[in-house]
Amino acid sequence: MPVSRRTGAGLVVLTLSLISPARAQLIQAKTLPIAQGNQFQIFPSSNLGMAGVAVALADSTLDPFVNPATGARLQASRFFATPMMYRVSQGTGGGRSLPLALLGRHADWYGGLALAVQQVDPSRPPGFDGIAVPLPGGGPIVGPVPGTGTVIPDNASHGNQYAFAMIGRALPRQHLSIGASVLWNRLHAVDGVDLLYANSRRVEQSGDALDLRIGALKQWPRDSAAGAPRSLEAVLLHNRFAVTHEVTYLDAIWNPITQQVEQQPRIEDNYDHTNTWGLQLNYQIPLGARGWRIGWLAVANRASHPKIPNYELANVPALPRDPGYTHAYNLGMGISRAEGSGRFGIDLIYEPISSYTWADAPVAIPTAGGDTIAPGGKTIENRFRFSNAWFRIGVEDAVVQGKPTKFQFGLILRPIQYQLERHDHVQLNTRELSASWWEWTPTWGLSYRQPGFELRYQGRATYGAGRPQAQFPIGVIDFAAAGSALLAAPNGPLLMTDVTTVTHQISLSLPLR
Amino acid sequence: MTMSFRALGVAALVVAAACDERFPSDGAPPSDDVLLRQTLNGYGVVPIGPVAPQEPAMVELGRALMFDKVLSGNRDIACATCHTAELHATDGLPLAIGTGGTGVGAARTLGPGRSFVPRNAPTLLNSGIGLFYVFWDGRLTRFGPPLPDAPVPLFGENLVEAQALLPVLNRREMRGEPGDVDVFGAPNELAAIADGQSEQVWQAVMQRLLAIPGYVSLFRAAFPTSSPQTLSFRDAAKALAAFQVAELTKTDSPFDRYLRRDNNALSPEAKRGAFLFFGKAGCLSCHNGPLLGARDFANTGVPQLGPGVGRGAPLDKGRGELQNFEFYAFAFRVPPLRNVELTAPYFHDGTVPTLEDAVRHYSDVPKSLRSFDPSTLPAQFQTSYHGELQTVDTVLRTLDFRLRTPLNLTDTEVAELVAFLKSLTDPAARDLSGIVPASVPSGLPLR
Repeated sequence: MPVSRRTGAGLVVLTLSLISPARAQLIQAKTLPIAQGNQFQIFPSSNLGMAGVAVALADSTLDPFVNPATGARLQASRFFATPMMYRVSQGTGGGRSLPLALLGRHADWYGGLALAVQQVDPSRPPGFDGIAVPLPGGGPIVGPVPGTGTVIPDNASHGNQYAFAMIGRALPRQHLSIGASVLWNRLHAVDGVDLLYANSRRVEQSGDALDLRIGALKQWPRDSAAGAPRSLEAVLLHNRFAVTHEVTYLDAIWNPITQQVEQQPRIEDNYDHTNTWGLQLNYQIPLGARGWRIGWLAVANRASHPKIPNYELANVPALPRDPGYTHAYNLGMGISRAEGSGRFGIDLIYEPISSYTWADAPVAIPTAGGDTIAPGGKTIENRFRFSNAWFRIGVEDAVVQGKPTKFQFGLILRPIQYQLERHDHVQLNTRELSASWWEWTPTWGLSYRQPGFELRYQGRATYGAGRPQAQFPIGVIDFAAAGSALLAAPNGPLLMTDVTTVTHQISLSLPLR
Repeated sequence: MTMSFRALGVAALVVAAACDERFPSDGAPPSDDVLLRQTLNGYGVVPIGPVAPQEPAMVELGRALMFDKVLSGNRDIACATCHTAELHATDGLPLAIGTGGTGVGAARTLGPGRSFVPRNAPTLLNSGIGLFYVFWDGRLTRFGPPLPDAPVPLFGENLVEAQALLPVLNRREMRGEPGDVDVFGAPNELAAIADGQSEQVWQAVMQRLLAIPGYVSLFRAAFPTSSPQTLSFRDAAKALAAFQVAELTKTDSPFDRYLRRDNNALSPEAKRGAFLFFGKAGCLSCHNGPLLGARDFANTGVPQLGPGVGRGAPLDKGRGELQNFEFYAFAFRVPPLRNVELTAPYFHDGTVPTLEDAVRHYSDVPKSLRSFDPSTLPAQFQTSYHGELQTVDTVLRTLDFRLRTPLNLTDTEVAELVAFLKSLTDPAARDLSGIVPASVPSGLPLR
């Protein structure tokens, strides 16, 4: 079990839980190399096995879920069943989904519906055994087993539900199509969130996410010598994410009645709220007559965080944050080639992000300099500067020329680098932190297509991230029995166990006549 | 075409394999609150939970007993005389002045022919939250086998109740000397009982109490199922303990709020003091755990003052005076520190008048002891100081090893430590006037 020692100072997870059905319209700022399951990869895709390349290569299956205007490219109505499962190694998490989708077209109108149910396993630290912790003296009961006097770690899987609807219309005269979509999620389990509250015994999640999109697709008249037509896509989105984390900790407390140190449940509600506005433009043009295309991508997100959870990671100081906002961008280009049975694509995307969060003074707070910060004033300011990137390369071709079986291979490289500048207006100091890591994801796929159906298997494995190790309170539990022994205070680097997240998706597509 | 796509796929896998490298992150120091919380957790400094609710009738009986001088042989001193509300349940004197004395608080003076109680009257604040040892020498404890010198057998493992039994037995504190007469000129029947006859003394006290109609009513309300014939002074001790738990538990200091995760409860200066307390100054080596002390003994090189105790008199060897505990020569109980700001003077004989002086004492204990100036003591105590070189050397010979190396605290560090110690004060403990009854059933004056 390889273990990485991350210098654990000031690392925080800034915005872990953006619900993004696909690709880059919602940009995620990630400040800790925590492995996340691919639980939101619920829609069918034709390019998943080739790293999801998209800047210069259309994904005829996924595109309507990303930009509702691209439903105009539908040639016929289709039904999709796309069971997906993922597993995080070391037994630290997993999940499974069953999405069902229907895309249909009638004359110039088109639309789609999708429903998905999902089950997400709890995210456990490596080696966590999930032992229930008894409460001395029969303390308050927290957990699903009444009468036991214990706090039961939540080892059960929890379900999410997804509902998607899309409608659009092609305007042939203008070579334009427009569409709108809505995705609603009822969330009880976002993968990895459990791990962000070190020493907690239970994390119960409950919330909703809403993703509204309007999109436009302009396709210029086809130049027969140039293959696929020149196109411009635009998507305007608004995403609202609001989940409450009810976190149960066990705190040591001196009980004057029993005159012993005991453990007592403490429940904290953490609110993870983020509202995002986003705009994406994607312009593709053919290059010559041999199937080459080049594409440009520009994405802008403006996310406000009315409330960011106070995560606690083992040995890692949580940065105090309340509200904040984030500006994130994707600037990319891609090239692709599609000829005969083969397709190939490369995406290169630069992802700058700036984020500003702060903590508000709930009451008047004296500073180290003798001044006082008035209620509502800023006690802490955190400024993040990210310079992330994406590199995606993928290929698809027939296993045997002329046969309906195709393979896919791809690779995603994601370097993440950020700097944090933190101003503490109470202690009157400034601290800086820089962090960087790479995540890389090989992908693969196999498809078999017949006139009556298409069966596709795609997989991916993400390396370079980890799960934080279990860290239990080191407070003196049986103080009287401890005599005069002094126990060392924990203070060290964050310990992460390297894990691999493997995702498998099977997609069955049936044409509807 | 097909071959070129396949070649690209192979190339992608090669690149992937080459990228299996981790990029370490550079660290920055964690926030002060994170470090402080980790430190507190490591030393078992945890929040204090609520005390058990007390029966109001028991509390009212205890209140009357606490302030009523009828419990003393000469009817001239109450528990609250040495644990006065105005001085936060202590008396402000280096050494307590028992029966025969006059006045209250720092103005109290010794009566003719009397001697000081050998040790400082400790505060009763938070006595009900679970002390491990009671009295400066810890002779009353729930832990280990009973001490040969244990003054009373423990019952119910409630040290507060057990403690409440004892002052009425002590001739200097409350009982008086043979031949004493009370404030009305009547013979002191409690003092006439021979030493060692504890049960008779308690019975005599109860006879006094139950002869007063007001106490009969109070006892009846507090013990509705007991007849007067079955009541004992242990029941009175239970009521005194209930009063202390209900009225003298003060654990909502800024530091307690900080322990309950309010990062803003402590001032920056107090936090710096906390880092010193749990760091360079090493205070934590004794003052740790939920109560910040109260479970250990140490010879902290305190000047010797007063009439002394037992075989060591006129010196006071503290726990070392107890049989089989000679190893602890001059070691006294490490007091818990909540509300310490309010309970001057400090140490077992009150020789240090201020909190700042107490911190400076720890900065260089040998130097502090050798240079002690008895003129800092109230005039009536100055002649009781034992500052002979031999005595000082004797005390320093068994000085706790943790105090032998000077800390050399700067003035700023002393101020920060004092700021931290002041953060242990529950604001509600500053004014205890609300616990004082208007009168007591005996009709004796409260002051």
